[in-house]
Amino acid sequence: MNTLVQTLIDGLVIGAFYSLIALGYTMVFGIIKLLNFAHGDLYMLGAFIGYSLLSLVTGNGEGAAGLLGIAVVLLLTMTVVGVIGMGIERIAYRPLLLAPRLSILITAIGVSLILENGSMAIWGAQYQVYPLQLPQTGWSFGGAQLTYTQVAIIAISVLLMAGLQLFVRHSIYGKAMRAIALDQTASSLMGIDVHRVIALTFFIGAALAAGAGVMAGAYYGTINFMMGFIIGLKAFTAAVLGGIGNLPGAMVGGLLLGLIETAGTLVLGGSWKDVVAFSILIVILVCKPTGILGEKVTERM
Amino acid sequence: MGPKTTKLLRLLLLAAAILLPFVSNNYWLDVATLALFYVVLGQGLNIVVGFAGLLDLGYAAFFAVGAYTTGILMTVYGWSFWLTLPVAALLAAGFGVVIGAPTLRLRSDYLAIVTLGFGEIIRILAINLSITGSASGIYGIPRPAIGGYPFSSQKDFYFLMLIIACLVIAAVSRLGRSRIGRAWAYIREDEDAAEAMGIDRVRMKLLAYSIGAIIGSLAGCVFAVKMSAIAPLSFSFMQSIMILLAVVLGGLGSISGVALGAVLVIALPEMLRSAEEWRYLIFGAALILMMIYRPQGLWPAGQEQAADEREAAGDGAKSVPM
Amino acid sequence: MKRIWQNIGVLSLLLACVVSGCGGGSSGFGAGGSGQGADSGEIVVGAILPMTGNNATDGKDMYNALDMAVKELNEAGGVLGRKLKIEVADDGCDPQMATSAANKLVSLNVTAVVGGYCSGATLPASGVFKNANIPMIVTAANSSKLPAQGYDTLFLINGLVPDQTQKATEYFMAHNAKRIALVHDNSAYAKDMADSAKAQIEKAGGSVIAYEAINPEEKDFSALATKLKGLSPDATYFTGYYAAGGLMIKQFKQKGVPGLFMAGDGSFSEDLIKIAGPENAEGALISATPTAEFIEGAEEFVKEYKQAYNLAPGPFSALTYNGMNLLADALKRANSTDHEAVKKALKETKDFKALGETITFNDQNTLNESNFAILKVENGKFTLAK
Repeated sequence: MNTLVQTLIDGLVIGAFYSLIALGYTMVFGIIKLLNFAHGDLYMLGAFIGYSLLSLVTGNGEGAAGLLGIAVVLLLTMTVVGVIGMGIERIAYRPLLLAPRLSILITAIGVSLILENGSMAIWGAQYQVYPLQLPQTGWSFGGAQLTYTQVAIIAISVLLMAGLQLFVRHSIYGKAMRAIALDQTASSLMGIDVHRVIALTFFIGAALAAGAGVMAGAYYGTINFMMGFIIGLKAFTAAVLGGIGNLPGAMVGGLLLGLIETAGTLVLGGSWKDVVAFSILIVILVCKPTGILGEKVTERM
Repeated sequence: MGPKTTKLLRLLLLAAAILLPFVSNNYWLDVATLALFYVVLGQGLNIVVGFAGLLDLGYAAFFAVGAYTTGILMTVYGWSFWLTLPVAALLAAGFGVVIGAPTLRLRSDYLAIVTLGFGEIIRILAINLSITGSASGIYGIPRPAIGGYPFSSQKDFYFLMLIIACLVIAAVSRLGRSRIGRAWAYIREDEDAAEAMGIDRVRMKLLAYSIGAIIGSLAGCVFAVKMSAIAPLSFSFMQSIMILLAVVLGGLGSISGVALGAVLVIALPEMLRSAEEWRYLIFGAALILMMIYRPQGLWPAGQEQAADEREAAGDGAKSVPM
Repeated sequence: MKRIWQNIGVLSLLLACVVSGCGGGSSGFGAGGSGQGADSGEIVVGAILPMTGNNATDGKDMYNALDMAVKELNEAGGVLGRKLKIEVADDGCDPQMATSAANKLVSLNVTAVVGGYCSGATLPASGVFKNANIPMIVTAANSSKLPAQGYDTLFLINGLVPDQTQKATEYFMAHNAKRIALVHDNSAYAKDMADSAKAQIEKAGGSVIAYEAINPEEKDFSALATKLKGLSPDATYFTGYYAAGGLMIKQFKQKGVPGLFMAGDGSFSEDLIKIAGPENAEGALISATPTAEFIEGAEEFVKEYKQAYNLAPGPFSALTYNGMNLLADALKRANSTDHEAVKKALKETKDFKALGETITFNDQNTLNESNFAILKVENGKFTLAK
């Protein structure tokens, strides 16, 4: 029983990270149908920029950063990486919006290579240890443990996701995003500044990924320049699982993938958990290609 | 470029390829051999992505199927290299059908994701199964021989690969011009119209996917005996992406373009070796610039065709509900 | 018309890039040629190391050690009256890259090769050097599959996997830990070691209650921790590298996984303690060949290394330094840079005194006696465990 509860908690924490990154994937895909391979690297970039800022705040890990300090670093990092995300969109993706989809996919791979190797050149290849020790205390119920940090991570993630959902559903920009996702040309004819809205989408997606990066860095304690690749792949799976292009779907997909992975480790062992995750992905795509929460799409291509 | 100049250029390139081992050292010969592997893999993927318009992100899986089939049959059961080829081809085609049959009905980007998942599964299986030698892979794969002449030196494998590459190029270009090739082009341009004209689209897609799988697995077989040791690391997601890069860089659907793209994908990072840790950064920037200023590839399949392809590939991007 | 010109422009630019790149390459083999021709030039020693990718940290560390050894040797007048020069080739711990890298070194006509970190990459590279008859001194990789190839050009100066797992098993049995959980990270080396440990533990009368793998690129091992906690092992033995090892120690502590925690030599790094946090790492065990800090007579090496590279020496720095010095010694004894002569001299090495080891090769060209030890983290520092 303990093991079961503990697995649930473990799955939720890792699922929260997947969800935050999956949101960025899904937003970008929804609006310009791009599989943004560089998205996982924005998460990595967030972790590194957060690392540098925290080192500044705490004076290379000497002093302790207060709760306020951490919050400021988190928001600052999200803004910086958000702007970088907009820059990437402006330089690398915008000129290709009308090009074949494959070329923009290749561009995304190019951006990913630049971000990874650029980070290695700046911060080095070795693992960096986050200048922050989070409290390890928390509640314990019958052997299963839930730390305050874990609660905070889940709470911040839920807050960010709920905020995003409100924004997309109720603000005028959200409406514009949904309009562009439906028909870019028609939206532009209706007077929507398509480029500006796409840029905003990139800003939000990148900022969320960066937030996840800082939190992951603080929670796990180490970062390195390749950390975005595998989690990007997983988040992508999560986005598909929930129904790509669908925001609540990305959240559900992320949490579900986290749970599937921890359960897979428990039952089949760590070496098989990825096989389980990818098999479920394939089965879902074949049986219900729109994902769990995806809307019905009539087009066949 | 007129057809005559193109022909002349191809002959010149072939002559250069034949002469290369006599002027180059072993290092560049090895790079060239690797480039030839990519030429073959690129052509295989070209059938899937370029001809039939199916985006495949897990092509390295078929490469792995071939390499492991040869590796296991030769080391465990002591088969001759040449006998492992048909087995590998059959296996790859089988995997192609198993994966393709349920998924080829899907939208092209979903297909991409399924193939990505499949690629990862094959790699993880290779790491975990004991028959594939788990993480350290299979080593000590014997060298093949033709009638008593054993392939052992770099030159032998270079020429073996050159012959295979030429055969594959000839086969793929004939295929592209055949009835089947025209059916693929039709499906790629307009699936519904193609079906209305009586083309069985799922069957044709399955055919493209399986032929691509067979070519990939054959390259894998030769890779196994050339390297004499194979490990799961060689069949990662990055490998699939690099092969796709070769195809897109050269020009989708263009035989000569894909060959050029394959050579560049291998040669550029090697040339940039002196740039040490900056080389992949430069490579990434080059990719972006290339896609912005010349998205149809370096050697597109003819200006007119290229324009068509742009439309075809862009088709999925428009989510117009009609 | 305009479009055609644009296309021609792009193509010619690319062509220029290719041609100029080739030019750079050909000047590369020009240099190799001169190394081979003139006897008075530099002696070129190849180094095959992971300079990029996940293991780049240790690769750079090993490169520093080589650099340091070569500088010292050159300051002392070089070898055979000639200066030494390192040519490094990046294997990225990837078998395919390693083969290209090895071929590159062969084409540069190196006298011998020192290095080899990941066993998976060193296996194919060693084959390339065997074909070219170039002696290779492996200073870190130690999968038992390497000597099993039976190459006469291949010399290993790190202890082998079975020696290490035997030492670990002895420690477990002595501390009455019979139910062991094994965890590897899916790398060729860690898997090999976990398999070897399994055999040793079962032979010694213990039992392996879990045999798990993790993905070293991930950071969340809480599911594994929960699973092991349920099994409550007497000890957990992790055979992978320090980045995952450190996180595992931290997360196991948080989850309260019972029993001893031991990690293999891939985890032997100060960073293990840094990543885990000193309070979590307290009491963690490592099976390894002791690094420079634990070697008597290596104080000077540690000091100079820190001074020169502003870093503490890594797990394989001393061994790599030894490898270079062993090669220099063999070159002197051979009194030639001929591959056959150097190979023979290496084979005949007898009681070569190096940092922390005395090198004599057995029939398999591996160390006659290994010097593995168990280390324990005490007060945030590694100490030799009893």
